[in-house]
Amino acid sequence: MSSQPVAVVGIGQTHHKSKRRDVSITGLVREAAQRALEDANMDWGDIDAVVLGKAPDLFEGVMKPEMYLADALGANGKPMFRVHTAGSVGGSTGIVGSQLVESGRHKRVLSVAFEKQSEGNAQFALGGGKSGSIGAGGAFAPFIRAYIRRSGAPEDIGWKVAVKDRLNGAKNPYAHLKLADITIEKVKESPMMWDPLHFLESCPSSDGACAVVFTDEEGGKAASKPPAWVLATSMRSEPGWFAGRDAVDPQAAHDCSADIYKQVGITNPREQIDCAELYVPFSWYEPMWLEAHDIAAPGEGWKMTDSGATALDGDFPVNMSGGVLSSNPIGASGLLRFSEAALQVRGLAGDHQVGGAKLALAQAYGANAQFFAMWAVGSSLDPLG
Amino acid sequence: MPRSENDIAIVGFAQSPMLRRSENTEAEMMLPTVQGAIKMAGLEKEDIGFTVSGSCDYLSGRGFSFVANVDAYGAWPPINESHVEMDGAWAMYEAFIHLLLGHIDTALAAGVGKTSNSDPTTLYTIEMDPYYLTPLGADPWSLAALQYRALLDSGKATERDVAEVVARNLANAKGNINAQVSGDVSVDEILAQPYVRNPLRKADLPPVTDGCAAVVLARGKKAYDLCERPVWITGFDHRVEPHLPTLRSDLTVSESTRLAAEGAGAGNGPIDLAEIYAPFSFQELILRESLGLSDDTVVNASGGAQGANPVMVTGLLRVIAAAQAIMDGRANRALAHATSGPCLQQNLVCILEGDE
Amino acid sequence: MTDTSYDMEPFHLQFPFTRSLGSTMSTFFSALAEGQIIGVRIGDRVVAPPMEYDPETGADAGSEWVKVGPKGTVGTWTWVPEPTRLHPVQEPFAFAFITLDGADTPILHAVKASEDQLAAGLRVEAQFKTGDDVNGRIDDIVFVPASDPSPSEGAGEAYTAPAEPEVQMMDAFCDLVYVDNFAPATREWAAALMQGRLFGRRCPKCDRMIIGANPMCSVDGIFLGDGAVVELEGTGVVSNFTVITPTPYPGQKETEPFVRCSIMIDGADAVIGQQEIVGVPASEVRVGMRVAIEWAPEGERNVDDLGNGNHGATAGAVRGWRPTGEPDEPAENYVERMM
Repeated sequence: MSSQPVAVVGIGQTHHKSKRRDVSITGLVREAAQRALEDANMDWGDIDAVVLGKAPDLFEGVMKPEMYLADALGANGKPMFRVHTAGSVGGSTGIVGSQLVESGRHKRVLSVAFEKQSEGNAQFALGGGKSGSIGAGGAFAPFIRAYIRRSGAPEDIGWKVAVKDRLNGAKNPYAHLKLADITIEKVKESPMMWDPLHFLESCPSSDGACAVVFTDEEGGKAASKPPAWVLATSMRSEPGWFAGRDAVDPQAAHDCSADIYKQVGITNPREQIDCAELYVPFSWYEPMWLEAHDIAAPGEGWKMTDSGATALDGDFPVNMSGGVLSSNPIGASGLLRFSEAALQVRGLAGDHQVGGAKLALAQAYGANAQFFAMWAVGSSLDPLG
Repeated sequence: MPRSENDIAIVGFAQSPMLRRSENTEAEMMLPTVQGAIKMAGLEKEDIGFTVSGSCDYLSGRGFSFVANVDAYGAWPPINESHVEMDGAWAMYEAFIHLLLGHIDTALAAGVGKTSNSDPTTLYTIEMDPYYLTPLGADPWSLAALQYRALLDSGKATERDVAEVVARNLANAKGNINAQVSGDVSVDEILAQPYVRNPLRKADLPPVTDGCAAVVLARGKKAYDLCERPVWITGFDHRVEPHLPTLRSDLTVSESTRLAAEGAGAGNGPIDLAEIYAPFSFQELILRESLGLSDDTVVNASGGAQGANPVMVTGLLRVIAAAQAIMDGRANRALAHATSGPCLQQNLVCILEGDE
Repeated sequence: MTDTSYDMEPFHLQFPFTRSLGSTMSTFFSALAEGQIIGVRIGDRVVAPPMEYDPETGADAGSEWVKVGPKGTVGTWTWVPEPTRLHPVQEPFAFAFITLDGADTPILHAVKASEDQLAAGLRVEAQFKTGDDVNGRIDDIVFVPASDPSPSEGAGEAYTAPAEPEVQMMDAFCDLVYVDNFAPATREWAAALMQGRLFGRRCPKCDRMIIGANPMCSVDGIFLGDGAVVELEGTGVVSNFTVITPTPYPGQKETEPFVRCSIMIDGADAVIGQQEIVGVPASEVRVGMRVAIEWAPEGERNVDDLGNGNHGATAGAVRGWRPTGEPDEPAENYVERMM
């Protein structure tokens, strides 16, 4: 088989904001890519292939922008690949880039994901360009209501997640929202947007990009900074709608993480994984994904949140970067999760570093909670050994 | 040539009817097509290790349009699945890479597009540089015509040469039961047509087509288990070049095609047959040269994009046409090409071989 | 051909995108608004209009600005006999590659001339929009045959950019038209709605029912033919809902919080999604509430907003679902059934 080790040796992201009016789309993606190249101690010419991911082209009104951005990303004369798997796209962009090295096709690959939401309007794009868009919040609110009822979780769990992730985001120099003075009270009192979700339990709308440089075993060992080793990648999808579908606890979510655990040899995720970046655009998704990815037993996810286990100083920190709740350049959000997991095992996460993190999990999901992309990264090729 | 577990082959394929207008949705076009490819490989949907499709939101006019297409797979229990906003030929590339990893031994790649819903002269303006070209309404016909005139001015081809390409492709399409457009048209008749964008004539434009195609790939021994004459993918590469045609040093060559052909090892042996995706007729001449094809190679026996051009699918149709020729014994080493962009900005080359 | 009475109206996908330009393009468009075209020196060539990066290598292009034009020479060209509504010139015109004096790479732009004037080597010059006509965009200029073919004055000289270029943003109105048709299954659904009927299709393999215009079982990946059709009652129970606080965006008509419900149809074990509730305020909608469909009066029914492949959209045919006043069903029996 041609499967071979893959190392993350460069990570870059933009300063995420609601409106990055200082840059063009070109400038936005290049800002992230150049930071990743710098981190990898590489130049454009060192890259063999580029993978671009973003959510619907309707967000910026540029159709198939991989063509327009090819030379901006130094891809002249190289392979340029475009991925689009809805909200999970940032994750898929990382996975495809990683596999281009894993398969032995290329030695050094750059994956870039972005969204410049301020050029357009996400609610417009999500509503198919028509009036009465329910938006992502409207689509997920019923799932959240069902989870609350099913698990018997107290209503303040969502507020706690909202506070925890924003406090983490305040430690992240790149985060869009830096709400160091956020409180449970403020979340609770913020306007109800999509019952039962309050405004402060929802992700912002951001301009931003993220880039990752992958290389092979030799490149990883020779890197000037510690690499993160890609231990497993997985994607799973299921239909968005069928009678009786359990969208709160999707089978595809279980299958995707089970595939990751099997590849890495994880038998007890809560004990063996040091921290996780999960795609939590609405606060309640933290306990929901802890359960759907079998980190917590059914109905127990909210107790992990409630006990503080998922805080930066807890035994299973989640969304150390501040997560999607602190920055949401949609197409890039998945790759930001994957990148933060890699930063953690590289020991380069700064003020939001989890001490001694050796094995980290990242996840992104999309559409009607039906597409999942995940990876596990380690500080070595055998972090459990 | 002995095959290894790292060798990957096409073992099944299918395409929908190629229509000026399908009344079905993308998902409805996909369902029988995907199932047809799986059935040809002698498999059930549960046997497929990885599924990936290519389609385009702006072609549908809706964000996340591919999400509904997952219904066509019957993706339950959940499946290992991905999507590219590219021609199905690139979806096949992702499937190929996935198989190379050695974790799975079968994969399905599809492409689907309804071109009939929109007007190409307005829609594709937003595919161009959003600052320097989109505000000019720079349309693909105009951009292609600029490349066409550069070709004429270079002295490499005449309008008659290009009209001969059109006439040959339409005649070839008569033998392709899947072609949407075919017929006997004389070169003089073509040359008598008015210009839509001087020197581009209506006959040089591809037809507007709705359609879908799918292929099933298998790795190593599995390919022989499923198919009497697997079509081995012995070379596969794709390249891009600067998006602004004004920044290309010579519009009459396709440097990214040349690099992709080189990367795919096109020159490692004679090519019996080539299926080239030339959206505009004259581009076939540019591509022939950049692919390094000899006069012995049969080009676009299917009629090529002139016979049917479902955008997001046409490249994968080239792969299928070449694979069919190998399965039928009409060729043993064939080249399939796919492109994106009105001036051939991005190109893919796939080398296919039979066992004889 | 098929019955075309349910063909869709042309759909205008319109949105006023706003683009921030970044330093390089701000400098270019600000200069253009002042009547000066500029390029940027990248290595040994002057690229005009300027790029932020070297298209060959991806390296930063820097900001060594160079004055180019306003005259230039046509390279390749094409004639547009019938302009589209998006073209910058609404009479027959040419698109051409124009290498501006002082530049090494051409600009692609429109030339107003007669077709017989067009030829490689034609000298053209930029005409600049002035005053209120200036958009801060690439269509602030158009080219015409040069009255005097002599070289442009000042071309090739260095250009000093203002510290804060005036043009920072660009309007980009996107206006596309789609003409789709109802798929056969959508036509059947539309016809039923117009007659005041609801139906579902039951999968013969998995026994699941799907309500609406989708003719396939997403679990089994098979078509559900006419034989699978089951007529449905217009009564059910609210199984879940959202109250949406509308955010304004171009094209948005909603201004007040509105409810969207999932409703379990009586006797069907299937849910119809995205339904409106009438007769009670949003704040009183509850899981378990019994409701009955309220059709729009026959003369007012329409299916104008219906799309293909939906999961039970009732669009303009239904006013909404009205609470019947019967006692609520136990919420826990329904809340899990969002679908």
